[in-house]
Amino acid sequence: MPNLFNLVLQITVILAVCRITGTLFRKIHQPRVVGEMFAGILLGPSLLGWVAPQISAYLFPPSSLGFLNALSQVGVVIFMFLVGLGINPKELKHQSHAAVLVSHVSITAPFVLASVLALYLYPRLSDSGVSFTNFALFMGAAMSITAFPVLARILTERDMMHSKLGTVAIACAAVDDVTGWCILAYIVVLIRAAHAATSIWITLGGILLFALFMIYGVRFLLRGLERTFHKYGEISENRMAFLILLALGSALCTERLGIHLLFGSFLMGAIMPKEPKFVRYILDRFETVTITLLLPLFFAFTGLRTNIASLRGPAMWFYCGLIILVAAAGKLGGSTVAGRLSGMPWREAAGLGTLMNTRGLMGLVILDIGLDIKIISPALFSMMVVMALVTTFMAVPLLDLICPQEAQRAKPQKATVGQETLQEIA
Amino acid sequence: MSGGNRNFVFAYAFLVVLPLLGLAGVLKMGRHLAAPTSIDGVWNLQVDAAQMTSLPCAQAISAFSDQAFSISQSGPDFVINSLAGSQTIGSGSLEGNHLSATLNSVPVPSQNSCGTNSNFTLLAAVEGPADSKILTGKLVAGACASCAPIPFRAERRPAAPSKAGH
Repeated sequence: MPNLFNLVLQITVILAVCRITGTLFRKIHQPRVVGEMFAGILLGPSLLGWVAPQISAYLFPPSSLGFLNALSQVGVVIFMFLVGLGINPKELKHQSHAAVLVSHVSITAPFVLASVLALYLYPRLSDSGVSFTNFALFMGAAMSITAFPVLARILTERDMMHSKLGTVAIACAAVDDVTGWCILAYIVVLIRAAHAATSIWITLGGILLFALFMIYGVRFLLRGLERTFHKYGEISENRMAFLILLALGSALCTERLGIHLLFGSFLMGAIMPKEPKFVRYILDRFETVTITLLLPLFFAFTGLRTNIASLRGPAMWFYCGLIILVAAAGKLGGSTVAGRLSGMPWREAAGLGTLMNTRGLMGLVILDIGLDIKIISPALFSMMVVMALVTTFMAVPLLDLICPQEAQRAKPQKATVGQETLQEIA
Repeated sequence: MSGGNRNFVFAYAFLVVLPLLGLAGVLKMGRHLAAPTSIDGVWNLQVDAAQMTSLPCAQAISAFSDQAFSISQSGPDFVINSLAGSQTIGSGSLEGNHLSATLNSVPVPSQNSCGTNSNFTLLAAVEGPADSKILTGKLVAGACASCAPIPFRAERRPAAPSKAGH
């Protein structure tokens, strides 16, 4: 049985610290989500556990963390549904050569550089229980992800959402996220299949069948839901409950198929009808609880697993610096070069590279999975969390430096509904 | 093919296809790399309880006398935690199949022959296949002249099904 007093106390403290830190970060023109991610680190062994170990042990006794984790994972399941809802496959179909090239390069460049870095890090930060291939592929996936919500937030704040740069960046981030999650799903399947009784081909076949069922079966049902919304202007509680059941059922199916809960909820969001009013209506019913209550719990739980003090000695900090350098070179450098080769001026291409370099919350979600399946060690997890924080934090100041005129030049226009909500998350 | 399309194809081949071929090469090269022996996980401890309690210093490493402990490994470095409460018991490093760790000792009364500032070292060797690893070694009390080294044996519990194996 959970100690209810302790759980409620934990939630209260986490929400208070996240709100305060988020507000402080807004004052320095950083997205709120960066402050909340930082709050998680403050509450963990890196600061609170180090400065006041007794308070930390009282607030977060190890026996209580299972309940906090369960709540935070429910939040991430819903968040991934919202991220999927914000991605409109139709918008991606009509992208220019520039978007296609930049999105693909912004995946392959960090992926290849990460795998080269893995050659150096594998003997130093991994162990013989993890294969090099899995280690390198995971490093690649974690470094090639882009934080779609944070990106949308930055673009809106600078009135760049409908500028050429903004449109290309959003399209590339969406492609990156979908590709990154597919690669991660493949890695998780490989790893879990190694220990499962079922053949990997049966698992892959099951996943394919499930995806087809969702795209051609469940999506048809969802169109009916959309039609009902247009007819009555609302969706009854029963139908809303049915929608939640579908999202949770999809998450359970992907978990059972050997990938992860999050892939199912993301897929469910991605196949939802994208008519703006319908999307807005659905989002309004999910976002407050998810954004203000459940996601901060995820940040706190991630922070509790991040121990910057475990990076002892100059060698560990050297590895950490190398990871940040390679992550930035692959994503920022790769996207900038691709943007330039697609015909963008250098300044605009560098702005695009800077935007693509934000990893934010999506990076943390992937790292959390990596630590859970033990593909990365606790020290490497801490380094990668630092990398995700640093690359996200550097986006706004770098953009100020590279594209100071961009905010004045772009016409203020409204973002699409899915993006608008993701901005609120950020 | 127009000039724009041709440039796109060249850029795509140079920036996407070529790196992917490089990735395949890196993955192939990495297969020959060896990482430190895996000792991460939960270990069941077998130690002579009578010998342990007869030690003047037994009180100083009471956390280690639990029936099990866990090791959290990052490359050759590792941290030993108690299972109950996840309290850190000690930390150390691995060289080949041999590990050495310093255990955190709690202060004991000064009248005890253990000494107030005794340090404990765990020296052990890892043996066995990946799914049934065994640690055999001894616990040595550095500053305690009257403490004989205590031999111990620990067996790793089977890994959780999600471990990122080969």
